[in-house]
Amino acid sequence: MAVKIIKSKNFVETDFVESLAEVPVEEYKPWPENDKLKIVGKPVSRIDAYEKVSGTASYTTDKFLPNMVYGKILRSPHPNAILKNLNTEKAEKLEGVLKILSFKNCPEISWYYDTSLLFDKNLRYQGDEVACVAAISERIALEALKLIEVEYETLPFVTTASEAMMSESPKVHGWGNILDGKPDTYVRGDVEKGFNEADQIIEEEFNTQVVVHNPTEVHCSLANWDDDKLTIWDSTQAIFSVRDTVAASLKIPSSKVRVIKKFMGGGFGSKLEAGKHTIMAALISRDIGKPVFISVDRKEMNLAVGNRPDSNQKLKIGVKKDGTITALSHISYGSVGAYPDSAGCSWPLKTIYLCPNVKTEEYSVLTNSGRSRAMRAPGHVQGTFALEAIIDDAAEKIGMDPLEFRLKNYAETDQVFNVPYTSKKLKDAYLKGAEIIRWKRRNKTPGSQNSEVKNGIGMATQIWWGGGGPPAYAALKLNRDSSINVFAGSQDLGTGTYTFIAQVAAEVLEIPVEKIKVDIGDTDFPYCPLSGGSMTAPSVAPAIRDAAEQMKGKLISAAAAILNLPEEELMYSQGLVSSIKEKDKKISITEIVSKTRNRELITNGAREKNPDGYATNSFGVQFADVSVDTLTGKVKVNKIAAAYDIGRTLNPKTLYNQIHGGIIQGLGYALFEERLLDRKTGKVLTTNLHSYKIPTIKDAPEIEIAIVSQFDPLNSSIGVKGVGEPAIIPTAAAIGNAVYNAIGKRIRSLPITPDKIIKALYS
Amino acid sequence: MKFEYHQPKNLKEAGKYLLLNNSIPFSGGTDILALMKDGIVNPDHVVNLKTIDGLSDIKFETGKGLSIGALVKIKEISQNQMIAENFPVLKIAASEIASPQLRNMGTVGGNLCQRPRCMYFRDDFDCIRKGGGTCYAFEGFNKYHCIIGGGPCYIVHPSDLAVALLALDAAVIIYSDGKQKQIPIDDFYILPESDAMSETILKPGEFVTGIFIPELKSEARSTYFKFKERDVWDFAIVSVAAIIRKNNGIIEWGSFAFGGVAPKPWLDNAFNKSIAGIRVASGSIENVVTKAFDNAQPLQLNSYKIPLVRNILRRVITQLSA
Repeated sequence: MAVKIIKSKNFVETDFVESLAEVPVEEYKPWPENDKLKIVGKPVSRIDAYEKVSGTASYTTDKFLPNMVYGKILRSPHPNAILKNLNTEKAEKLEGVLKILSFKNCPEISWYYDTSLLFDKNLRYQGDEVACVAAISERIALEALKLIEVEYETLPFVTTASEAMMSESPKVHGWGNILDGKPDTYVRGDVEKGFNEADQIIEEEFNTQVVVHNPTEVHCSLANWDDDKLTIWDSTQAIFSVRDTVAASLKIPSSKVRVIKKFMGGGFGSKLEAGKHTIMAALISRDIGKPVFISVDRKEMNLAVGNRPDSNQKLKIGVKKDGTITALSHISYGSVGAYPDSAGCSWPLKTIYLCPNVKTEEYSVLTNSGRSRAMRAPGHVQGTFALEAIIDDAAEKIGMDPLEFRLKNYAETDQVFNVPYTSKKLKDAYLKGAEIIRWKRRNKTPGSQNSEVKNGIGMATQIWWGGGGPPAYAALKLNRDSSINVFAGSQDLGTGTYTFIAQVAAEVLEIPVEKIKVDIGDTDFPYCPLSGGSMTAPSVAPAIRDAAEQMKGKLISAAAAILNLPEEELMYSQGLVSSIKEKDKKISITEIVSKTRNRELITNGAREKNPDGYATNSFGVQFADVSVDTLTGKVKVNKIAAAYDIGRTLNPKTLYNQIHGGIIQGLGYALFEERLLDRKTGKVLTTNLHSYKIPTIKDAPEIEIAIVSQFDPLNSSIGVKGVGEPAIIPTAAAIGNAVYNAIGKRIRSLPITPDKIIKALYS
Repeated sequence: MKFEYHQPKNLKEAGKYLLLNNSIPFSGGTDILALMKDGIVNPDHVVNLKTIDGLSDIKFETGKGLSIGALVKIKEISQNQMIAENFPVLKIAASEIASPQLRNMGTVGGNLCQRPRCMYFRDDFDCIRKGGGTCYAFEGFNKYHCIIGGGPCYIVHPSDLAVALLALDAAVIIYSDGKQKQIPIDDFYILPESDAMSETILKPGEFVTGIFIPELKSEARSTYFKFKERDVWDFAIVSVAAIIRKNNGIIEWGSFAFGGVAPKPWLDNAFNKSIAGIRVASGSIENVVTKAFDNAQPLQLNSYKIPLVRNILRRVITQLSA
């Protein structure tokens, strides 16, 4: 099939990325709605369920190689210090210690966008890497860490964005504490004019906390060299990014590096970039000639592998009496920790509601704490909490129902790029969600219930990207027994990538899912994008369809040669190629493949390009039903109703799993989770899962899900939009609004803990 | 980490091993193993008490009371029918501890002797409780710390069982110097002003062998309210153990104990006295409750515990006197 190379612009996590991509010239007609499909859209059980349930699924932490040794990392205990001296003599003498890597013997490897090194003498947060010990056991490596003598010169430090913004504060880097020296700004229309036109102006300030990804599986890498070829087994969301970072760091060609990730216990964005530990494992392994495994422990997980930045947000909204929004402005400050990253959170405010006059300023501020990384819908989760609170408050101020207010200000097009959406069914989601939660029962006057335990209902809207795009490739191999191998360099984070790939191939070729063996998570396979930005399914599924459709074409052409019939007279159905005219002239795929010389057929598929002149976004809404115990301040989330436009449902089981996970994680963000930093010492206090409180299953609410979309008709021939991030975005905002509806007091900082509610009610 | 592991056959041997320098007892391990892994406790000797016979029984003698061995699992207390009938406060407290997995492993003795959860104590801060010179919580993150009885250290005691046992006027049985003796539980725990590095009176060579709870009069009603932020696997923000006897709409007698408010399970004798003789239907309960903890000295972030503990008292008294 003909292909061409195009410039493709896709949204990846926090920014648009332009790349060259190979795409098919011809495009397939979109599939009809799921009712007319046989396998896609059906609740197919995970094809890797047996491995996961039986324990045979090999995660990176399970990987074991002969002669494997273990690495452990020494980290700075200080928030800001200079490494004056390092003495590893005693540690090296400990029996079983094989290698100690530090600034003394490690080449200078650039890190964090050239602001630091793999081993830097400037240690800018508690957790910055000082040295790495490899030993024959993890226990010995840990013992050796204690024997390393380090001399630190401690320096003054800053822990909060507001402190870091002051001119007299210590600078994390020589160049100042505001990233790029200025905020990211955006202006549309004339906000002053807009506020002048308003009947009511509401100004509010919100704060959100730092939270940590804390996936079940810790970050870990196993590195092994054979000759000049390096293989890395890694717990990663991005095998190709790890490959390229490792190759660049070691100054070797990418072709010499192979990265493998078969199963993973979660990432949530923290595993989108190569870890320092991965490079250390590769360096030490090359040096000592043994496989090196390095994993971090739970404390390191809470110090040094990323987090969601906090935010201080100042919002202003102008509204007319009839509910028209005339202007919106947003200033946000977020701490990205000690090295560059983005803490912006204005996007939802720029796009969700119809508003001609918008102004935003987003400050990303450096502090002496662990650097942030993309975390499940970076920016949107913080931004949506504040935006959806002030939207509710504005509606109340003009005496309008919050749902009606949102419908009144519904945006039909993307207001930033001034283009239509490929599809937007948010209105349907609003109505469906309101019906499930029975919106009409909400308190007309917030806090008006006369009882110890007060109930409330709140809602919040979600927007995200998630349309995916090229490049994404897949190879299909049809075997003689009519089974199929799929090879694609994608990743399954636990979300169900394996299963939807099998479903798409099975749908096209009309054969059972059991016939399809899916191999992913290997850089030796055709390229697929990293698994972040909710773009795995929308990028990869169309490539699988392309490869499978081509396979159908190959089978017809092979059958034509065998049966001596023109291709146009043949049709493919359920594993058989048959003549349209004479029904008894037919041949099975097993027969076709057996008759070919190579005894297998191979095709390569590619993701088609995104349509020009459109934006693809997912939309959704969550409604929360909560009870607040006014004696204790405890919030119980009784139910979340979630209604989404995510294009086509590939598999309701894995789709619902992702939404459940997002809601429970969002509930943790709303009510429990907070990375606490001691301001006097600059040290993290929540370094284990006792003090860092993730929700348990007992805290999880009833969840009811409605998908209001059939498929996106323009984005791709599959029409699926990603759901990984949309699932978490509106949860905290919906809970916050429901708490307000229950008690009539607005808690403007997250998490909404009992002490804050008690203070609001009793002081 | 290197230590010598001892498996004593009887109390005497255990006492001998526990006299060795830097020696700790070990039973369920749910707390001590974490303390060792985190480097908070670095023992030279670990003494496994599970090899000692006779510390795993629950015995009830009518007219006397209830004896529970130190090695009885928390789960057994939470599931024991006789305890549920006679000492509901104890059953509820046990059921509220940690998670099912931890209740299956944790023992009564270990629960009473567990170390505090203060985040500074549990991490690499050289705090007063570890022999350092500073209480980092005093001017730091003290939302979970004590509102009464603090200084120079401001922990709260984490045990739920201890609070219930304090309301039940129980005694802790300890092995000391060749014999077992009963110590009233209020005397078993100490405040940081007397020793900031220990939560109990136990000295080297001493260890808990069990508890004794005097029989409750049958008309007494009791309950335990544990307020935690998360629904499971969380320590008490504030907890109240309550026992009352009511007659003709009058609370004749009440015994209350508090958790999450002080460095030891907290008893307020004045409060217990003031609750006796009040009429349920009158406004007297409100008068008594609003005076509770009026001598508290909250830190910067924990004054919410005062309305919280009063609200819980309201709820508990209303529930028991209904």
